Amino acid sequence: MENVKQISEEKKNKIQEMQRELDLLIRAIGDERDPVQKRKMSVRVDTLHRNISHLKSGKLMSREGKRDLVAYSFIAPNFIGFAVFTLIPIIFAFALAFLQWDGSNPVQFAGLDNFKELWTDTFFRAALKNTIIYCIGTVPLTMIASLGLAIILNQKVFGRGVFRTLSFFPYVASLVAVTAVWKMLFHPSKGPINNVLYTIFKVPAESLPQWFTGSLVVLSMILFSVWKYMGYYMVIYLAGLQGISSELYEAGSLDGAGTWQKFRYITWPQLRSTTFFVVVMLTINCFKVYDIAIMLAGGGSGELTPSGTVLVYYIYQKAFIDWKLGYSSAVAMVLFVMVLLVTILQFRGQAKYEKGEA
Amino acid sequence: MKKKLLSILLTTAMVATLLAGCGSKAAEPAPAAEATEAPAAEEAPAAEAAEPAAEAVTLKWAIWDKDTTPYWQALVDAYQTANPNVTIEMVDLGSTDYMTVLATELSGSGSDFDVVTVKDVPGYATLVQKNTIIALDDYISGAGIDLSQYAGATDQVTVDGKLYELPFRNDFWVLFYNKDLFDAAGKAYPTNDMTFDEYDALAREMTDTTFGSQVYGAHYHTWRSAVQLFGVLDGKHTILDGQYDFFKPYYDMVLNEEADGVCRKYTDLKTEELHYSAAFSGGDVAMMNMGSWFIATMISQLKDGGEYDPALCGNWGIVKYPHADGVEAGSTLGTITGLAVTSASAQQDAAFDFVNWVSGAEGAKVMAETGNFPAIMTDEVANIITSLEGFPADAESKEALNVSNLYLEVPYAENVSEINSVLDSYHGSIMSGEMTVDEGIAAMNDEVGKILEK
Amino acid sequence: MKSAKRKAVLSKTLVYILLIIIAACMLIPFLWMFSAAIKPDREVFRMDPFVFIPADPKWDNYLKIWTKIPFFQFVKNTVFLTIVVTCLQLLTSSFAAYSFAKLHFKYRNGLFLAYIATIAMPWQVYMVPQFIMMRGFGLNDKLTAIICLQAFSAFGVFMMKQFYEDIPDDLCEAARIDGMNEYQIYARIMLPLSKPALSTLTIFTFVATWNDYLGPLIYLKTEAKKTIQLGLKMFISQYSSDYGLIMAGSILSLIPVLIVFLCLQKYFVEGVASSGIKG
Repeated sequence: MENVKQISEEKKNKIQEMQRELDLLIRAIGDERDPVQKRKMSVRVDTLHRNISHLKSGKLMSREGKRDLVAYSFIAPNFIGFAVFTLIPIIFAFALAFLQWDGSNPVQFAGLDNFKELWTDTFFRAALKNTIIYCIGTVPLTMIASLGLAIILNQKVFGRGVFRTLSFFPYVASLVAVTAVWKMLFHPSKGPINNVLYTIFKVPAESLPQWFTGSLVVLSMILFSVWKYMGYYMVIYLAGLQGISSELYEAGSLDGAGTWQKFRYITWPQLRSTTFFVVVMLTINCFKVYDIAIMLAGGGSGELTPSGTVLVYYIYQKAFIDWKLGYSSAVAMVLFVMVLLVTILQFRGQAKYEKGEA
Repeated sequence: MKKKLLSILLTTAMVATLLAGCGSKAAEPAPAAEATEAPAAEEAPAAEAAEPAAEAVTLKWAIWDKDTTPYWQALVDAYQTANPNVTIEMVDLGSTDYMTVLATELSGSGSDFDVVTVKDVPGYATLVQKNTIIALDDYISGAGIDLSQYAGATDQVTVDGKLYELPFRNDFWVLFYNKDLFDAAGKAYPTNDMTFDEYDALAREMTDTTFGSQVYGAHYHTWRSAVQLFGVLDGKHTILDGQYDFFKPYYDMVLNEEADGVCRKYTDLKTEELHYSAAFSGGDVAMMNMGSWFIATMISQLKDGGEYDPALCGNWGIVKYPHADGVEAGSTLGTITGLAVTSASAQQDAAFDFVNWVSGAEGAKVMAETGNFPAIMTDEVANIITSLEGFPADAESKEALNVSNLYLEVPYAENVSEINSVLDSYHGSIMSGEMTVDEGIAAMNDEVGKILEK
Repeated sequence: MKSAKRKAVLSKTLVYILLIIIAACMLIPFLWMFSAAIKPDREVFRMDPFVFIPADPKWDNYLKIWTKIPFFQFVKNTVFLTIVVTCLQLLTSSFAAYSFAKLHFKYRNGLFLAYIATIAMPWQVYMVPQFIMMRGFGLNDKLTAIICLQAFSAFGVFMMKQFYEDIPDDLCEAARIDGMNEYQIYARIMLPLSKPALSTLTIFTFVATWNDYLGPLIYLKTEAKKTIQLGLKMFISQYSSDYGLIMAGSILSLIPVLIVFLCLQKYFVEGVASSGIKG
């Protein structure tokens, strides 16, 4: 009983206080000349009004509070699972980069030692170089190929469903099986590709390309990835293309826009957020390339030579073969920072574009 | 707002780290305590063992490829018959990523495995350094085990005077050859006493590059052991040296053979992932160096219902590894498979009893009967194997099983798994022609040197 | 007029030629798989002469795979996992994505960045801490572990958010004025409009769970709990060179995914476009 009284007493005081401020403001607003100040003041008046009425009616929460709560209730089911099973281990992995740990013995603080070691690590540098080259090759090629395919398969062509399904084939098939096929096609001495080079283009036998060794490994990986993932990103683009109203194209036709102009001024801008998504996912997935390298260049035992090694392979090796979890986390941090930079650049680009358009 | 979020994240990270720190700190004294407790605890269950058929014990054992490897079940059956109160529960972790899965499983301190199979020495080093398996020395002296029966293999995996595993399988490398091909070419079979020059010359004589009826004089699987390790057989070098110039003559020999069509190309093998068994059973390979485990495969696959065609490879034999000039014949490479007891196990005494049995004389018999080479090679064991149906009948093949010096493919060292990775990697570079032999060896010297400096 | 028509025909022809070339590129490997599945090992890599169906086709590979390994059990586990994960993923991520795309609240950008940042983190990096934590929860060797791992991925939220952002805000505003609360807007307006996005996410999640290898490898040890990919890999290591059986298994494991794709692909055509709200 006492408590309730106290609360209502407090409330009363607060209301009075706000009422006083409100009165002052209303008087001052009339005298204010600066329009910016004036607007600010009127916003404050609004807030005070609302707060007073909230307090009077006994509603405990502000509108913002309620709005936030609704929003959080939407996020919660996913976020709780995500936080527990992904975020916490990841935060731990962050910490690991500055520690030394083998998974069992007590953790030791390592400071920046792990990062210093990276500088002189031949294998890390090879892996970094290969991964970057692979990304630079794969991201634009896959994007262009999948967008082109999606545009074609969004038109009314005969057997569209069949073609769509076929393009999706490589993505769904198990990697083991499709890499086996690729290796046969690109087999250095028996493969049909080298056969054609030998018989038709008269490339001498000893200079036939060795597709899975040396400097050609990364190229093979790029070609393979474009082939395997083009259907996947095509599906995303298709869904995006469906969102573009046909009225826009009709209006474009009336204005006499050609195919290219329609693409340039309607399709491309309308696919903005889809492209953002595609590029970010592609970049991330390219930086995370692992099993493609193993299957194409590893051959049986799965060891990669410096010309075919990639970052995640190195991370895996350091973590699970050598059990230097701290060091492997440090390598991962490098990868992470690169991906984050690319993502933020993309984010900025998208935001700028939106602003510019508005 | 962003600052606040950052601070929340940081706090969470710190809490998580602290928690983890506490967790591992709490776990830390455990192995130490166990180590000191072990001898004391030994007496109590020893007393318990005096009352037979006392408690029912269940031991969890980590293994691989249960369905295709017959000896796991045979060992379990035999042990359970001898010890009716013990149940062995096998958990198949698959062979491809066995050591990775096992080491992950044993991370932290909550695993429920009692006995684990250790597949290779780098994996052994990992488990020892992670403190996940216990030193068996007290048990070994308690049970009065004579380590000399393992012919020096255990010395090569002793860590700071302590032994953490007992070997139960010991494979060594021999030279397999296809008698039919030698007969057809009218050449004499390889012998138990060949130098590398004689071996190389024989391989070249056997080679036939005619299209359609090709014969490869030799075959080298893509493992680095198949080429590099010819170099350690003179006993003067090991792969932990940090100086690998002694690999050069053998790389030169194999690369020259490859260039002349004597053996299949490394890059082709890598691309096709051609299994050595498919290569040899195809009937166009005259000689192949491989581990003794392949003997059991040959025997079982050539039986009725097996996958190999007897017309192609049914007439085969084995001889000892070739040797360098001036070195006695019979030196070869070995690979041991061992058993270890986990530090997390609550029943270490019972677990060791099982380990001791499997790696001892009784286990050895079971292994030999399934066609595998146990770590203890006695005349009895050798007889069981050579009298298996399907084992080559000639005297040379029987004699080939007599090994004079056994060098482990990888002996124990603190950084053995990193050294191993470096050597594997540059082996690939040299064999695929990405680097010349000299460049590759120089790179090995550099990189392993860096590891050894640490 | 005539030249325009000819031009149209020409471009149509070009489009078809292009399509057929692409289709061939996509199809050849699968024909090869099909053919390898019924060949003896040594013939798999034989190029001259290349035969599509060998003289003595080993059709029984398709039967053998069911008896050589407990393939049916693997299929059952995989189907269970895939369905549960896909349902959970669809529900929770579309829910969260609505909030990120259409509601304004404190820490929105920060939370979203946390989501994206985790996508950038390769799983191998936090696999060990995660495993130790999961084992602490008693989830080692449980199918539930894989569900927890896969069902709350950041990827789904990211993708759905991008799609929702393309739906005009006016629609939601109008609904709010009509007195709908946010849950009603989500259920009655957003969900029906996002059929294409939902079906895309379904396929992606389905395929990812279906083909996942490393997760089941670390978490599922008992044979009765293993998945198809794990089974196939186990199979490869045991019968190392038996390409025929591997291919047969791969083809069989491909079928369910293709069925799901075929069932859902018509939603890419309908959905937003047919309701004509965009623009």
